[in-house]
Amino acid sequence: MNPKREIRVQTIVVSLLVSIMTILLLGILLSFQPLSGSLGSELLAINQTTTQSANAVTSVVTYFRGLDTLGEVTILFLSIFGIGLGIERLQEKENIFSYDNALLKIGADMLFPLIILFGLYIIIHGHLSPGGGFQGGVVIASGFLLMFLAKNNEFKLNHKMTTLVEALSGAGFVLVGILGLLLVDRFFGNFLPLGTLGKLWSGGVIPLIYIFVGLKVSAEISTLVEYFIRIKDVR
Amino acid sequence: MLDSFNQTPFLHGVITIGAFLLLAIGLIGAMSKKNLFKIFLSLSIAEASLFLYFIGMHFEVGKDAPIVTQKVTEFGVNMVDPVPQAMILTTIVIAIAVLALSLSFVVNYFKLTGNLDIDKMNELGEES
Repeated sequence: MNPKREIRVQTIVVSLLVSIMTILLLGILLSFQPLSGSLGSELLAINQTTTQSANAVTSVVTYFRGLDTLGEVTILFLSIFGIGLGIERLQEKENIFSYDNALLKIGADMLFPLIILFGLYIIIHGHLSPGGGFQGGVVIASGFLLMFLAKNNEFKLNHKMTTLVEALSGAGFVLVGILGLLLVDRFFGNFLPLGTLGKLWSGGVIPLIYIFVGLKVSAEISTLVEYFIRIKDVR
Repeated sequence: MLDSFNQTPFLHGVITIGAFLLLAIGLIGAMSKKNLFKIFLSLSIAEASLFLYFIGMHFEVGKDAPIVTQKVTEFGVNMVDPVPQAMILTTIVIAIAVLALSLSFVVNYFKLTGNLDIDKMNELGEES
């Protein structure tokens, strides 16, 4: 038996196994039925009395499972921290894109404040409409991406500012949780007045938590964008 | 005639097969490509299939997003489950963090060695 024949037998066996596993997995997936009386219906039933937030997804993310969101933000921070270890002297690097377009530069100047305003709107209205801290933060970072693309080497982030915003909003996020632990019963408990459903001043601590998350995510993703767009060495 | 397509089991089947195809595309790309950058982007595509499956399987015809509006005025009536959407929001952010970290490692590796082909990697000194 020569080696070529063994490899062909192995290939046939492996492809048979892969197809059997594919059929089994598709059968399991196609017969899946979501449960009707689950955690979600219980949370929806108590949502109006406990949080007064019009968006139930937001209240699940920030209030009922606030500790999960703290862990998620911590993972994002650790990822950006690990990326920052690889940066050496970012200020001496050049942009990988070099557009020299007057229309793009003037248009970016006009669009940049509008994009920042839109991101802040999405962050602040996270408990009333679809959106929230993570989405609005990424919208703000897209505004910075537009500036990096349009003004290739003239626009630079102030790294002291981004570090300050990130540190202060992270500390504020943990502080809200500890205040909830001290003033009421549990971590991320609600110590603010609830307000009425559908108004901007409603939801207790939920808008506060999402504003901190939005500022933190926007600073982190802007730093990330700058790192990935400015990696060319200066000759 | 189009009402027969607008049924919950049919849509669940379409979503399952589509998510499975997306998973297959991502895994085949991760196994067959030689470029390190393309491998991580393929894993990111495979993650997108998970998001699609989780959100899609908890959709039912006639139910709306769990947000109170003028149309839906009461919690718990004609609303989909909010917990999978919150979980997937968490998962998307973690996927972005992991993708960014791995791509920064790829960039630093390319700066050090000038090589992205996984067949030519020999930094640990293995005999080829």
